[in-house]
Amino acid sequence: MAGRGTAQRPNGAGAAGKICQFKLVLLGESAVGKSSLVLRFVKGQFHEYQESTIGAAFLTQTVCLDDLTVKFEIWDTAGQERYHSLAPMYYRGAQAAIVVYDITTQDTFSRAKTWVKELQRQASPNIVIALAGNKADLANGRMVEFDEAQAYSEENGLLFMETSAKTAMNVNDIFLAIAKKLPKNDQAGGGAVGQGGSGSRRLDEGGAGSQGSTGKCCK
Amino acid sequence: MATAVKVDGYGFERPEDFDFETYEEFMSRYLSVLVRRAKKWEQLFGSSPLEDHLKRSSKVKRYTRKGIPGDKRALVWMTMSGALARMQANPGVYQRLLEAPTHDDPVIDAIRTDIHRTFPENVFFVDAPEGQRVPLFNVLVAFARRRPDVGYCQGLNFVAGMLLLVVKDEERSFWLLDAFVGGVVPTGYYTPAMTGLRTDTRVLAELVRARWPDVDATMRREGATFDLVATKWFVCAYVDVLPVETLLRIWDSLFYEGAKVVFRVAVTMVARQRARVAAARGLADVVSAFRVAIDDPANTFAHDFMADVFRVPGSFPMATIDKLREQCERAVLEEDR
Repeated sequence: MAGRGTAQRPNGAGAAGKICQFKLVLLGESAVGKSSLVLRFVKGQFHEYQESTIGAAFLTQTVCLDDLTVKFEIWDTAGQERYHSLAPMYYRGAQAAIVVYDITTQDTFSRAKTWVKELQRQASPNIVIALAGNKADLANGRMVEFDEAQAYSEENGLLFMETSAKTAMNVNDIFLAIAKKLPKNDQAGGGAVGQGGSGSRRLDEGGAGSQGSTGKCCK
Repeated sequence: MATAVKVDGYGFERPEDFDFETYEEFMSRYLSVLVRRAKKWEQLFGSSPLEDHLKRSSKVKRYTRKGIPGDKRALVWMTMSGALARMQANPGVYQRLLEAPTHDDPVIDAIRTDIHRTFPENVFFVDAPEGQRVPLFNVLVAFARRRPDVGYCQGLNFVAGMLLLVVKDEERSFWLLDAFVGGVVPTGYYTPAMTGLRTDTRVLAELVRARWPDVDATMRREGATFDLVATKWFVCAYVDVLPVETLLRIWDSLFYEGAKVVFRVAVTMVARQRARVAAARGLADVVSAFRVAIDDPANTFAHDFMADVFRVPGSFPMATIDKLREQCERAVLEEDR
């Protein structure tokens, strides 16, 4: 079952200094590898057959950027279309999203574009969206060209990487790239309307100020 | 400490961090419970066919709440849920549902995608001819064809998979799934709009609010809803959520008493973590509290767990549930407009 607790890898612990917290959601067609990307990122593991995610799983992981620690609160969602009605709950108030497709299936790329459109329309206006072309290790069966996805990403202002949860290719990198792009000061705050009460905030404030501190970050 | 057995009685590989100590403690007590219950059922039913006795009565309900002996479980579930009657009224239907080809059908493709993603850590879910993957595919395909209004909903793979592990018979598992979706749980759990499911997570919120306003207040403040934390509880009826022995005890009563039991279990789990949820700060903290509710070692103690399930939530009149459902469904439909 996905989402068993949280784990911190060494890179998450050390660095003193500022800590920022961001809500990130993974979206995409069923079986493109959303849970596998999270499992690779959070626990450094990969299972050839990852259990289908029902509803959503919640995990956390931190990454370090120079003197800054970024903590991701990750919502890994179910891919099947009928769980779509639950999706707004997960992306509401999110500062970042990874929209995942499978490079060996054209349909999953179309679905990814639909997700991007929905996020652009309905999520927080400043949400950082990354597009992940997963299963890059299966390049022999490639159906979605790198250039096509990159061009699309440029047009839409998305971060883009091809990833492989299996080989770990670009998995940490895509989360790092998101961490770099996220606004980390008051003025440039995510602007998330925190209906989920989950904006970014300084961890050392405890949870006491979590409500109403959405959209702000490290000072 | 006893030798660590890597696989449990239902074929599930135990995770590396499996708590053998708690499990041993549980089993050393539970075995005597199982023996006692088996004797009671034998005394109650004697040697005549079990199905002759399974009329609804307070005695059978009480017996069911205390656990159906493993060797009678499949038959009792079949009888109580109406699956047996469905099967007897529809001879040959299961086989006919499987006759049509399975290619070029997006519903069946979705099923196929999930077959390897159902209990990958279970030794019976393997590709070998005697494995459960082909039966699982068949059961889900037949069900999608019998209920085109539902088709395939992720989560049914876990329900059907668990049925196969207990019943060990493809056709019977199919009819149990049919009875489960078509009678045991409310309508609209697995349909594309999932109206029934979203209604019931809201009903749970109301049940919690009536009992523990502090839990409700924290959840509201942090924007935590039960569809955020408990969707899987409802969709999978606790498969892959709670330990297997506990799950089977829940299903014993679920097949007899219906979906009300799902609420009783949910309310009990909230009750056990009430202080933790109420004190949570931030959404992540609330979610973690529910994670603890699932991982709580106390959930292993199936017999105590079920005793709590029928005690802790207090009285549970169906009229209240029905009324809440009506009210919550209106809110869901409003939201969809």
